[in-house]
Amino acid sequence: MVRFLAGKGVQYALVLLFAVTLNFMLPRMMPGSPLVFLAGEDVGFLSEAQRTELLRSLGLDQPLWRQYVQYLGNLATGNLGYSFQKGRPISEIIVERLPWTLLLVGLALLAATLIGVVWGTLVAWRRGSAFDLGSLGISMFFESTPSFWLGMIFIAVFAARLRWFPIFGAQTPGVSLAGWAMVANTAWHLALPLATLTLITIPGNFLIMRYSMLTVLGEQYIATAKAKGLAERTVIYRHAMRNALLPMATVVMLNLGFIASGATVIETVFSYPGVGRLLYEAVLNRDYPVIQATFFILTVSVIAANVLADLLYPLIDPRVRHAR
Amino acid sequence: MSTVTATAESAPVRVRPRRRRLGVVGVVGLALLILLVGSAIFAPWIAPYNPEESSGNPFAAPSRLHPLGTNDIGQDILSELIYGTRISLAIGFLAAIVAISIGTLIGTVAGYFGGWVDAVLMRAVDVVLVIPFLPLMILIAAYVGPSFWNIILVIGLLVWARPARVLRSQVLSLKSLDYIDAARALGAPASRILRLHVLPGVLSLSLAQFILAASNAILIEASLSFLGLGDPTAKSWGSILYYAQVRSAFLTGAWLWWVLPPGLLITLAVLGFAFTGFALEEVLNPRLRGMS
Repeated sequence: MVRFLAGKGVQYALVLLFAVTLNFMLPRMMPGSPLVFLAGEDVGFLSEAQRTELLRSLGLDQPLWRQYVQYLGNLATGNLGYSFQKGRPISEIIVERLPWTLLLVGLALLAATLIGVVWGTLVAWRRGSAFDLGSLGISMFFESTPSFWLGMIFIAVFAARLRWFPIFGAQTPGVSLAGWAMVANTAWHLALPLATLTLITIPGNFLIMRYSMLTVLGEQYIATAKAKGLAERTVIYRHAMRNALLPMATVVMLNLGFIASGATVIETVFSYPGVGRLLYEAVLNRDYPVIQATFFILTVSVIAANVLADLLYPLIDPRVRHAR
Repeated sequence: MSTVTATAESAPVRVRPRRRRLGVVGVVGLALLILLVGSAIFAPWIAPYNPEESSGNPFAAPSRLHPLGTNDIGQDILSELIYGTRISLAIGFLAAIVAISIGTLIGTVAGYFGGWVDAVLMRAVDVVLVIPFLPLMILIAAYVGPSFWNIILVIGLLVWARPARVLRSQVLSLKSLDYIDAARALGAPASRILRLHVLPGVLSLSLAQFILAASNAILIEASLSFLGLGDPTAKSWGSILYYAQVRSAFLTGAWLWWVLPPGLLITLAVLGFAFTGFALEEVLNPRLRGMS
């Protein structure tokens, strides 16, 4: 158990080190002055003295290893740099944006896992039926469809045509709501992006759950349970599904990077004010420090979710809990 | 010789007959691919207009002259889609070649040498698999700039991890076979064993992985282009959707002919590659046979 967590810890530390080092190296490796990337394209208009002063204030006149140490120190104290485009410290912007992404991704993850698990279980029980084949076809379609396109179609049909849902944003602008009215307004704005992200996340979960369930259903103890005359429902949910769930935990974790990627494009389509949308705005404005900070925050979020899942995993798998 | 072994082992071992056919799924996938590759190759003959010329009024609805209408600068959307097939498929294929070359190299070396080489390489694979790939690609693409070859490199350099893992396990099972032991016992150098005995054993599986990587690459390219990081001089299906989004085509009736078709084409291409890949994998990978 301790060794399992230690091994995982090393892996996440490596991921973090890779992300941070890449962020540090990219602006300094590119041809031309790193100032263009770190202080905005306006530096072309500065005088020589101003440029030297700016280089000094950003610490870019120091040797590379000292810059790296300083960079790590800044990150450790929550200093993500400064957005010259928006004229604000990046950590401030991220604090505003991150909750929206966590709301969207968290709910989508929850919904997609629940639906994928139940759907995969039921389909595996009726393997080879029309329901099974139809489900496989539908999941293959959503697995192969670009998420942003699905979002655009949803807006076109449910927002622009039918006017059931708003076209953009997370809340109606210019209206201050409180209590349940605010919750309802937020949920109304969240519905379409959430549906899109959930729909493209389900197939991965569904296919793995179905496969895992098929493997479990071939085991002897399922035959025993059936032979004992237990109700079908009991065999499916208490004997088969609980064991088939174990590989799902790993898959859900591996999917986190995929969901974070999906959220980036979906937030863009729906103008949803999360970190993914921030990344898109930064790309449009060539606001490199913000691009880097968003990448860093998304990586940290994925790692944090992985750590959480690793800590919870022993609760569902007694073999890990008791292993030494 | 074979009769001797057959009689020596009294209990007949039941061997599942090797599947040589692709099955319905594989045939459908292959048909889709042939259709798309065909229209990419013969684009100049199929497309009614040159997609880079404005051949009608801007924002025109479908008519006999323009079956799928025109875009914001009067270019024929059907012709754009047909020519876009070239860009989307080319990027998919080339990025997959980059990814599979790296994946095969790393998977083979890790599986064959084992030990600390394996440990280090597999750690690298895990790092690539955990990191949120699209933000990483956006970051790199924003720095190196949007161009045809840069996009191929960025996708190829980040999609190799999964094939590397699959190929490594194939090499691990190959390594335990007698003829590899025999070659090693005869004193053949590792480079010779890898080249003559291991590589031929994994090549067929690399082909299946190549096709799956291509389907992945097409989807990723569409996302990057949609975010405005595509090559502005070579419009893919994703770039067409980028312009449709920028011009708010999905808020008007134009979504039917400007937004729907490119997305369906992307889906069909991804499905075509995925179906072919799955079917090939099942034929080529002995351990998967009979499992689905």
